[in-house]
Amino acid sequence: MTRGLVALLIVAAALLAVPLIVTNEFYLNLASQILIYALLALSLNLLVGYGGLVSLGHASFVGLTSYTAVLLLNAGFGQLATAILAVAFSTLCGALFGVLALRASGIGFLMITLALGQIVWGIAYRANNLTGGDNGIRYAARPHPFGIDISGAPSFYYFTLAVFAVAFFFIWRLVRSPFGAALQGARDQPRRMRMLGHDVWLIQWFAFVLAAFWGSIAGLLYVYYNLFISPHAISLQQSAEALLMAILGGASALTGPIVGAVIITLVKNVVSTYIDRWNSLLGAIFVIVIMFMPFGIVPGLRQLWTRWRRPAKSPERAA
Amino acid sequence: MTPALEIRNLKKRFGGLPATRDVSLTVMPGERRLIIGPNGAGKTTLFNLVTGDLSPDEGSVKLFGREMLGLPTQRRVHLGLARTYQILTLFPKETLTHNVVLALLGLDRMRWNPWAYLAGQRRLYEAARAALVQVGLGDAAERVVAETSYGERRRLEMAMALAQKPKVLLLDEPLAGLIQEERGQVREVLARVPRDVTIVMIEHDMDSALAFAERITLLHYGEVIVEGTRAEVVADPRTKEVYLGE
Repeated sequence: MTRGLVALLIVAAALLAVPLIVTNEFYLNLASQILIYALLALSLNLLVGYGGLVSLGHASFVGLTSYTAVLLLNAGFGQLATAILAVAFSTLCGALFGVLALRASGIGFLMITLALGQIVWGIAYRANNLTGGDNGIRYAARPHPFGIDISGAPSFYYFTLAVFAVAFFFIWRLVRSPFGAALQGARDQPRRMRMLGHDVWLIQWFAFVLAAFWGSIAGLLYVYYNLFISPHAISLQQSAEALLMAILGGASALTGPIVGAVIITLVKNVVSTYIDRWNSLLGAIFVIVIMFMPFGIVPGLRQLWTRWRRPAKSPERAA
Repeated sequence: MTPALEIRNLKKRFGGLPATRDVSLTVMPGERRLIIGPNGAGKTTLFNLVTGDLSPDEGSVKLFGREMLGLPTQRRVHLGLARTYQILTLFPKETLTHNVVLALLGLDRMRWNPWAYLAGQRRLYEAARAALVQVGLGDAAERVVAETSYGERRRLEMAMALAQKPKVLLLDEPLAGLIQEERGQVREVLARVPRDVTIVMIEHDMDSALAFAERITLLHYGEVIVEGTRAEVVADPRTKEVYLGE
């Protein structure tokens, strides 16, 4: 535990020091983006990794929050009321989506989440007078939380980091909570869990709502960062990318989606300036990782670490 | 006295195949009931109908006078039903303690808490440990299920069911696949189960099972062929015909 605490303090210090080291605004903004996508992937991973429910519609919560926030702000609501109502509305939609998607499991669940995501995308794309259609719509200005101006790149980074830290803490607690144990049990042995008195459907629905809530928080950060939302941000590709982050980094580990978010965001934004076919590179990375670390990067590295430390005890534990 | 478990005219077909033709069964509180019958007699199907894993075509299942049909499995568990499986369904990557903790959480409101630190819940862990000691697995508590023997897993199944302090316990072949020594251990565990728990057990191992049972029901092709005390059922010529005589 103490070793984990030391690691946490080092990572926290490093994250706090980022704006001091990275003075280039482009890269600092990239760091903020990484945190936003990491939060989106983390929230999705509650379903994918801990619930065993693969969703392809998670970007819809970014859209629902962002569009609602734009509309409310334009309608004259204050920043705080806008933020609360937008997240509440998006989470509420998540509660409804959960009821619909959890009619099925496995591929059926995936297809329903995909369809729901496409419906949200379709509305954003088609409802021109509300959403601006393909052109998107602007969010007037970033808020001033506690009177602090977060319009600059460093201050916005710290704001994002603070929100991310709070979210990460809650998700970390959830994974180790009684509910987290029930969620993982429902993933591994749903029939047995029912016979132990657990309401598997309700467990998975509650997880869906929590994932929608944290996904909506990521959506709020997204619209603050870009000050703009268009259907592109909630397309199927965005949902698939969030899923890819979770799987690439390792869905079974809490930190996996964060690592996945770092790699994918960097490849998309940095490597793409040097290599035209960055999508192919991303594909190649994915294939290589899955070949050598089928459970993703974080669990894969952990396994290597254990093997390196205890070379004598090499026979693997049967899964 | 209200029966602990009352099954009336239960019927279930799978397509054209009747798995349960017409089963009526009354088990009184505290009773030890043995259900025997050749393979395909519908014993496990009967359990699945009682727990709600399957829903019957017709009939009624009452637990202490309360109709169970229409209630989802987890509700029946909250009303005092527990079972073990013939084919083990455990959480193989977790410790034995964690397996029992999941069983305890099933009946605890705390299972909805997404904030509390599970490993810090001493009340749950102490109860889990006690249940493991009860089945003789106290020393193995921190081992991972995948690293335990088959006999230990059978006893873990029992610990999970017993930890829930059920009113009616359904045991599906608790001795299946065990060596003689392990059978003795399971029999001892069963003998220690308090009388406020009603036990219905499916078992093939006649030696162990007969000693344990007070009343025996013989199923054959989804029907009750013989029912009575141990002596009555063993003496009945139909028992010899369909089961013992093979």
